[in-house]
Amino acid sequence: MEALVYSETTQEFLDLLKVDAGFQSDALNLLEEGKSRYLADLKINFKNSLESEFLTKAEIALLGVSIAANAGNTTLSQFFVQHAKEEGSSNETIAEAVACASLLSANNVLYRFRHFSKKEKYNEIPARIKMNIMGRPVSGKEFFELMSLAVSAVNGCEMCVNAHEASLIELGTKEERIFEAVRLASVITSTSKVIY
Amino acid sequence: MSKHLLSVGQQFPTFKKTAVVSLEKGKEFYDISSEELVNEDGRWTVMFWWPKDFTFVCPTEIAEFNKNFGEFRDRSANLIGASTDSEFVHLAWRNNHADLKDLKFPMLADTSKSLAEDLGILEANEKVAYRATFIIDPQGIIRWVSVYDLNVGRNVKEVIRVLDALQTDELCPCNWEKGKETIKA
Repeated sequence: MEALVYSETTQEFLDLLKVDAGFQSDALNLLEEGKSRYLADLKINFKNSLESEFLTKAEIALLGVSIAANAGNTTLSQFFVQHAKEEGSSNETIAEAVACASLLSANNVLYRFRHFSKKEKYNEIPARIKMNIMGRPVSGKEFFELMSLAVSAVNGCEMCVNAHEASLIELGTKEERIFEAVRLASVITSTSKVIY
Repeated sequence: MSKHLLSVGQQFPTFKKTAVVSLEKGKEFYDISSEELVNEDGRWTVMFWWPKDFTFVCPTEIAEFNKNFGEFRDRSANLIGASTDSEFVHLAWRNNHADLKDLKFPMLADTSKSLAEDLGILEANEKVAYRATFIIDPQGIIRWVSVYDLNVGRNVKEVIRVLDALQTDELCPCNWEKGKETIKA
């Protein structure tokens, strides 16, 4: 197959993501072949998500690590891990972001099933899922809740979303900050369909 | 008597001016007219002015706009730089200054000062343009304007932020409310 020369818009995007030279993906190739103006929008959405009034740069990077892990996306994971380290996050905190994505993925399936089925019996059968990392998170209770909410929003569990949102409000988190975290998760999920 | 500053909601005045677009011989100049501002392709225009070529604050600012050229391109916006200097002065300045050699946007020459005057950004004493920035939508309507005094530099990030905010988003039907008109992009 002939190598496709990416547009300036895409090349700048790939430079920002610090991917290896020669990086390509099927989705990116199709968008480029069709000269899709969506590429510029995606890049702007992604870039605009890296700065926020309501999230620190370290928090953005850690949410990124978690959402990229949830998407199983190596390319974006590497980008956000490097970003998190540059912002001073420890290996323990980064590990917790990955753990959060994995644990919440289990919870999302299980609790979603419970709220889908609406059968009391399933609420009585024990979940038997270890959730020890929720006890004393190294990134702090509030941030761990925020990360849990973001992952749950991506995976689409109503029960988890409502539970974590309520818990955040109780901890004094503002709706703007909650929405910003979910917005970031939505953009990273969207990016993961093209950059992988 | 100088005219009032044109502001938000007003039609950008008609003009036809020569701009410097390249350093290559025979390809240096291109005529830009106000007709290009009105288009069906959804292209916006960002026009920024500075008082005089060959001064100190200007190249820093112009280089900053140039560095962010991709941001404007990705937002379907044509970037145009302008001053009341002639196209030959523009060309000489670009050839003379390292930071201006690889400019990606046209430098418009409002030699007769008619456009600066119509826009109401002509400084009374020296008859040079204030450091004004206009964002013009694809219908040719001014949607944002900022005017700084002669020596105050601009924040290009702020211009990009405003452009983002002006350009319609949330076109998705899931965001429509009953009774609301269909959103036109």
